Amino acid sequence: MADLIDPTTAALLVVLLVVAVISLALALRNRLSFRIAMRNVRRGRWRTVLLILGLLIGTTIISSSLVVGDTIDQLIVQSAYQSFGFTDEGVFNQTPLGTYAPFPYSVYTSVAQSAASDSQIAGVTPEIVGQTQAFDHNDGVPQTALNLVGVNGNQSSQLGGFTTTGGGTLAGPAPGQVLIDQGAANDLGASAGHHLTLYVGGTIWNTTVQAVVADDDRGGFLGGGFGQVGTIFVSLPDAQMLESTPGQINFLAVTNAGSLIGGVGLSGAVAATLNQTLSTLPGAHGLKVHQLLADTVKLAASASTSLSTLFLVFGLFSIIAGAMLIVGLFVMLAEERKGEMGMVRAIGLRRGQLVASYYFEGLAYSAGSALLGILLGIAVGYGLVYAFAQLFGSVGLSPSQILASFTVRPASMLTAYVLGFLLTLLTVLATSTRTSRLNIVRAIRSIPEPPPTMGVYTRLAYGGVVLAIVGALLLVFTARGSSDISLPVLGGALTILGIGLLASRFLRNRLVFTVASVALLFWAGFAPISTSLLGDQHTGGFFIVFTEGILLVLGAILLYIFNSDSVVSAVSRMIGSRPSSVSIARIGLSNPSRRPGRTAISLAIFALVVFTLVVIASFGATLSANIQQQETVQTGGYTFAGFSARPVPDLVGAIANNSSLSGLYSRVVPFVSGGVLETVSGFPQNPFGDALYAAPAGLPAANDFYSSNTYAFSSTANGLSTPAVWAALRTGAAVAVVDASYGPSSGGGFGSFGAHPTVSAGETIALTNPETGMSSNVEILGVMSEALLTGIFVSPALAGTLGYHNQSTFLLTTASGVNPDHAAQVTKAALLPFGLILLNLPALVAQNLGFTQAFVGLLQLFVGLGLAVGIASLGILALRAVQERRSEIGMLRAIGFTESMIFRSFLLEFSFVTVLGISIGTALGILLIYGLAAAPGSAAAGITQVAIPWGNVALIAGLAYGLTILAVVGPSLRAARLPPAEAVRPTE
Amino acid sequence: MTDEIVVLGEDVWKIYGSGETQVTALHSVSVAIRRGEMVAVMGPSGSGKTTFLNCLSGLDAISKGRVELEGQDIHAMDDRAKSAFRAKRTGFVFQSYNLLPVLTAVENVEMPLLVSGVPVREARKRAQAMLEDLGLGDRATHRPSELSGGQQQRVSIARALVSHPAIVWADEPTGNLDEESAAQVTGILRRLNHDLQQTIVVVTHSPDMAALCDRTLQMHDGHVVT
Repeated sequence: MADLIDPTTAALLVVLLVVAVISLALALRNRLSFRIAMRNVRRGRWRTVLLILGLLIGTTIISSSLVVGDTIDQLIVQSAYQSFGFTDEGVFNQTPLGTYAPFPYSVYTSVAQSAASDSQIAGVTPEIVGQTQAFDHNDGVPQTALNLVGVNGNQSSQLGGFTTTGGGTLAGPAPGQVLIDQGAANDLGASAGHHLTLYVGGTIWNTTVQAVVADDDRGGFLGGGFGQVGTIFVSLPDAQMLESTPGQINFLAVTNAGSLIGGVGLSGAVAATLNQTLSTLPGAHGLKVHQLLADTVKLAASASTSLSTLFLVFGLFSIIAGAMLIVGLFVMLAEERKGEMGMVRAIGLRRGQLVASYYFEGLAYSAGSALLGILLGIAVGYGLVYAFAQLFGSVGLSPSQILASFTVRPASMLTAYVLGFLLTLLTVLATSTRTSRLNIVRAIRSIPEPPPTMGVYTRLAYGGVVLAIVGALLLVFTARGSSDISLPVLGGALTILGIGLLASRFLRNRLVFTVASVALLFWAGFAPISTSLLGDQHTGGFFIVFTEGILLVLGAILLYIFNSDSVVSAVSRMIGSRPSSVSIARIGLSNPSRRPGRTAISLAIFALVVFTLVVIASFGATLSANIQQQETVQTGGYTFAGFSARPVPDLVGAIANNSSLSGLYSRVVPFVSGGVLETVSGFPQNPFGDALYAAPAGLPAANDFYSSNTYAFSSTANGLSTPAVWAALRTGAAVAVVDASYGPSSGGGFGSFGAHPTVSAGETIALTNPETGMSSNVEILGVMSEALLTGIFVSPALAGTLGYHNQSTFLLTTASGVNPDHAAQVTKAALLPFGLILLNLPALVAQNLGFTQAFVGLLQLFVGLGLAVGIASLGILALRAVQERRSEIGMLRAIGFTESMIFRSFLLEFSFVTVLGISIGTALGILLIYGLAAAPGSAAAGITQVAIPWGNVALIAGLAYGLTILAVVGPSLRAARLPPAEAVRPTE
Repeated sequence: MTDEIVVLGEDVWKIYGSGETQVTALHSVSVAIRRGEMVAVMGPSGSGKTTFLNCLSGLDAISKGRVELEGQDIHAMDDRAKSAFRAKRTGFVFQSYNLLPVLTAVENVEMPLLVSGVPVREARKRAQAMLEDLGLGDRATHRPSELSGGQQQRVSIARALVSHPAIVWADEPTGNLDEESAAQVTGILRRLNHDLQQTIVVVTHSPDMAALCDRTLQMHDGHVVT
């Protein structure tokens, strides 16, 4: 229930209530209008069904995007909640090397005593948290990267017991034995009873697997739940023995009172209390309370919000398309009832009463369609989540876990209902107000409206002046700042449109709006123009796609509407010169120009949706192409990045001298490495530091990093070439390069735990070795394009100056024909005491590609829903056209048109609109992708080539066209089969 | 006028609906119209004038009887043959003009020619000539919304005559026109009948129009009474 009354929901409820009260008051005051409206609702059952179906699309899209958002939120946030088991806060002192500094066990005793009297703390558990390598003697599998958690069973009760995979419960690991979680069991291929050897620091320990325990929130503990790394649990004394820290621990797990979710709310207060306690304790120097769960949940919620927003932004295209459909529906409804409207006005109904009548009718449709829309939205949302599960199931996430996270929050549904309802109602109200301004005689006698008078153009000119001023102000005030790029782009577009409206008072419409639409297309679609005017300092994410998409579609539609006769005659010529074909083409192609507003709506709907689909597909293909193309750039030409827990003095020699390893690798590059603290102007120092690497300068050519890597730079100091940068790094004294995560396109800044500062090529920063305390200023020679091996690469001379001597990072390339998995297993086993972890770099690139493709597929599916709007739009237009053109159809039959000719002319008409809409959307989508690729920062983000997935684009176009034709076949047949005599009658 | 019968209706019935809602619009109508004859069909509202015209022209199906146009049983033809016959051998003029609003006057006029397979250039030439003949040469490229009611009706007459049909069927051609335009349209129809020996069947309420016709068929309750 608390979920239902958050401030946004409360505000929406108030809005709903206000609408209800106003409507009730209006109904009481305008009973006649209300009665007419209700009769109209009941008057044509099929018309009402058709209207509601058309109107519910907007709500369905809002509702389904919120359902997807809720589910993603549930998936991410719930995973975050479970990632620490029952640990809310951790008390530890993390060193720059990433390890936890040990502290006396007495600190735990004191903290536990203090916590006993605190109602917000359920308990405190002492632990030793570290890393271990393990070798399974039963199956010969080594594993070099496992968490080690030392905890006593009797003290872990607050963290929950352990659940074995067989369903039993255990208090904790027995002395001399280990519990392993499912991750570790999978890594080692181990099960209960297997004999393991653990390598922790310099200690080698033989033990037995007591049981495999579930990766759930009870036995999860730190990092054991949904983490990527498996965990081995040992008793606390065994852990102290293994880490050589008798009488010491390095971690206190604090469990808050209340439920898992409720306890997070106490985190701030608990942290403050415990920090106060720690400050008074001897031996607690450097210890701090870290709000592990609260911080992780906050980050997860932020990530979830970003994803939900992405869906909503792409959904906006469909929502706008839905709103246009509503306008179209009510304009048609008003046209259909024009005679009636004229008649009721003639017998004394005031304009306000007429609007009120439409308002009440719209109210009934809106209320009903919004309700149906949210129900349909839930179904569509489930379909999307199902697709999400299938798509992402192949790249790491469990489909059942995703499906189990399917969530429909009442608050979201209320939001969808109110937004859908208001969207529909406001659109209906605006349309009704517009159409109620009718000339009574013309309405009754069905006389066409005369062309706009000069007075109309004068009013438009005034509106244009206002629009141009607002646009110019927006442009001027945001052009040079670092605001979202959408703002100045929108400002420029409003200025162009405003000037166009003003000019239409004095010049021919066709000339004015052709120029304005071309200007709009160039402004929104041709990046060099906006970049030269606005610079490249603006921020802005995917929202620009929405802004530019709307502007481009508007430009293209205006261009068509004011030049439709040229387009029609060009297409007519293409159709051929056979007299009967000419007659069909003339009828089919001319009709869309007859009601340009209606055609513009249909075109805009198709163009918007197809545009979005093409952008998403092309964006995904471009990313994929660039990832594929950049495999060599991302991996540097290496198969593995290796990290050892202990330094390997001579890995090159160790491999060369080991008969089982010597044939596996063609290149082995060792790096002197360690933690480093960076001081960058304008950024606070990251207390956790980062990684520093330096490759030796004098290795043989095959193993020489500087001449053999294929890494590239997104930017270099003074425009240095790539070989020049590596040459300078080999011999320089105070130079460095950084990976892409330091570059501006990665977002930079301390947004989250362990993030980098942003640095640029040519900038000077200070580096400090936290172990020796030695510092040096270095010039950044380049920002690399890779982001798999993150950190700072310095010259070997500088590494020596700062006191780095240990080789614990490596890059290795497997020899031709060697299976990387086999090579990794053999290498890890041979070098087990060093705790070597090997990351398969091409596999990581492939995994990124998989995620990208899965996500693009999901977005396409979601946006594809918008096609339903376009198809519905043309289907309804076709039905309406049959109704409206009865007498024309009759006349055509009278002059010799056969049924088949009528059918073909209808199909041609709707094919023309559909193909034109699809073509506009496709062309603009491709234009935008090229524009984005040409924008500054794209190269830095790794976009060097554009890939258009023509097969995918053809499928989108084919589906859109095919489904639309299916929708209009029925009405076209109906038109063809109209009995001529019935059709030519002047009244229906 | 010749003795050749171009329109022959024998015992033509038109019944709408069934059971209690059944309405008989034409009761055993028999009629014969000669080539070059101009015939007015008159009668009160609801007497079946338009149904008579639709059934005899082949626009509407008949319930019983037989209709021959130029000796061919129009109701025995399939849709394709009937459409081809209409395109080549008949012309229609309606009260509400029924011009296609998206096409210009000349495009409207040439439409029947295109339907009957006349090449595009030839069709345009003949349509332009027909418009000029009716005094609308300077309005050829105007759309219907840019023409007066009388001009629109003259365009629709041009469309009806451009393919030199055997019969022109006109349903209240002056019903929507002011007096002056109505007189103009009536004069044109009479001139065409007189000069070109064009057979014209015109449903009208106008005694002036009827007075110019060779004979008048009076209808009452679905019967041709005179």
